[in-house]
Amino acid sequence: MRNGADRLRALNAPQRVQVELDEQRRPRVVKREAGNEKRVESFGENWRMDDEWWRQPIVRRYVEVVLEGGGRVVLFEDLITGEWFVQMPT
Amino acid sequence: MTRTPRLTSDTAACCWIPLFALRSELARRPELASLPVALLSPDDTRRLWQVAPLARRAGVKPGMTVSQAIGLCPALKLCEPDPVHYDERFSQLVAALGTVSPVVEPVELGRAFVGTDGLEGLYGGPEEIVEAIQMRSAECGVWNAEYQGKRREANDPSVKFRTPHSEFRIGWGRGKFVAWVAATRAKPGEVVLVPVGGEAKFLSSQRLAVLPLDPDTHRRLRQLGIKTLGALVALPEEAVVSQFGRAGRRLWRLAAALESEPVVGRIVPEPIVATLSFFTPVGERDLLAHALDKLVDRAIADPRRSGWRVQVVRLRAELEHGASWLVTATLKDPSATRERIAAPLKTQLERSPPAGAVERLVVEFTAFVPGTAELQLFARDAGAAARAGRRRALQSAAREIALRIRRPMLYHVIEVQPWSRLPERRYALIDFEP
Repeated sequence: MRNGADRLRALNAPQRVQVELDEQRRPRVVKREAGNEKRVESFGENWRMDDEWWRQPIVRRYVEVVLEGGGRVVLFEDLITGEWFVQMPT
Repeated sequence: MTRTPRLTSDTAACCWIPLFALRSELARRPELASLPVALLSPDDTRRLWQVAPLARRAGVKPGMTVSQAIGLCPALKLCEPDPVHYDERFSQLVAALGTVSPVVEPVELGRAFVGTDGLEGLYGGPEEIVEAIQMRSAECGVWNAEYQGKRREANDPSVKFRTPHSEFRIGWGRGKFVAWVAATRAKPGEVVLVPVGGEAKFLSSQRLAVLPLDPDTHRRLRQLGIKTLGALVALPEEAVVSQFGRAGRRLWRLAAALESEPVVGRIVPEPIVATLSFFTPVGERDLLAHALDKLVDRAIADPRRSGWRVQVVRLRAELEHGASWLVTATLKDPSATRERIAAPLKTQLERSPPAGAVERLVVEFTAFVPGTAELQLFARDAGAAARAGRRRALQSAAREIALRIRRPMLYHVIEVQPWSRLPERRYALIDFEP
């Protein structure tokens, strides 16, 4: 029997991705795993979020993009660790 | 048709199992007993409904949102509610109480009053009557009520004795209010008896919260420094009435033991019979099945059936040359709908039809259980009953899927922090376990 802590799983949890940036530091190519990379075809909105500065700060730079094939996703860069993640748009 | 008068009783035993739904769930899934468990609300699955003591110790309370509760108790085990199951368990308990006294009044899930007037000749004094109640409720298998005949005398005005390892609490006294307050004073497995004439003394030391108060009246009385029923009764009745109106008068009279509501029971209907005589003996099964439908309809429409679901139904046929034929069906899920009552009889009619032509066909409803709407805490309205039915159907489908693919694949989406700026914190999935 599992308890509430491990039964609960976040919906739309961010997944780590590798991102190649262009000269303006915008994502150019998104690699989810080896052999599965997609070019960014267009950009939508971008925004920054600072939260939870009172305990463990969360600082993110979000970019809404359309990938080749038409998939619309949200990418964000964790400005503290420098890692990139992908999430479904909400 | 003459209606039989309703049964009433001045003396009452209040049988109470707090957190009935949660305990029903734990009885079904004993592996949860040692975990901090909470049942989700049947009407709003974002909120908790009943909370086990282990979770309460961590600060989790009924009515909290899931996110608040998980924040306080990360190990909290959340359970989907199954109102129909809880209702069935309660029906079993009420049926067991009905074997002790004909006057049983279910109030809410887990609480029922048993009228005890006139039972002295059968069982003896109040102690023996409540012993009989404990014994029957333990026998019905609804509760792990280990019946033990030993008693322990306690301070007057109430007398207590104990049956250990049971959550069943009983209060006995004159009128429903006194019996209810006595039940709230009983510890798990205990009985508190309030002797006739000792009600006022018993009630005087009880907390104000035992009265049926709305929060505003409770707050005002507390602000006036009134903490017990004795303190309320010490005020002049008219002063309470001038402050709180008619409701105040009722509260004062309840607190002073001047008002006593009797237990009002319902009479289980006698067998309901519907008969059809054929002009010429009939052998065709289609015609017999059609006649069966008509007879079931007629029996269902009998006013005595109102408020009761049919549990046992018999179909009799008088055949040519004096022979007869009989089938009986016990419905696993008691029902008040023609299709469900007639279905098992039609199956038997197909499998083993009468050996000759039928001259007379008789349908008898011989056993009943109380109607769902009367008993269910949740299904007082048709909408809630329908929701419970849909949930049960969903659970049945989920069980089927789990059996086939042998791993949990169904999830329930719950709001955790829908206001969060971080999308991953807004919603979560929990396994949907039937």
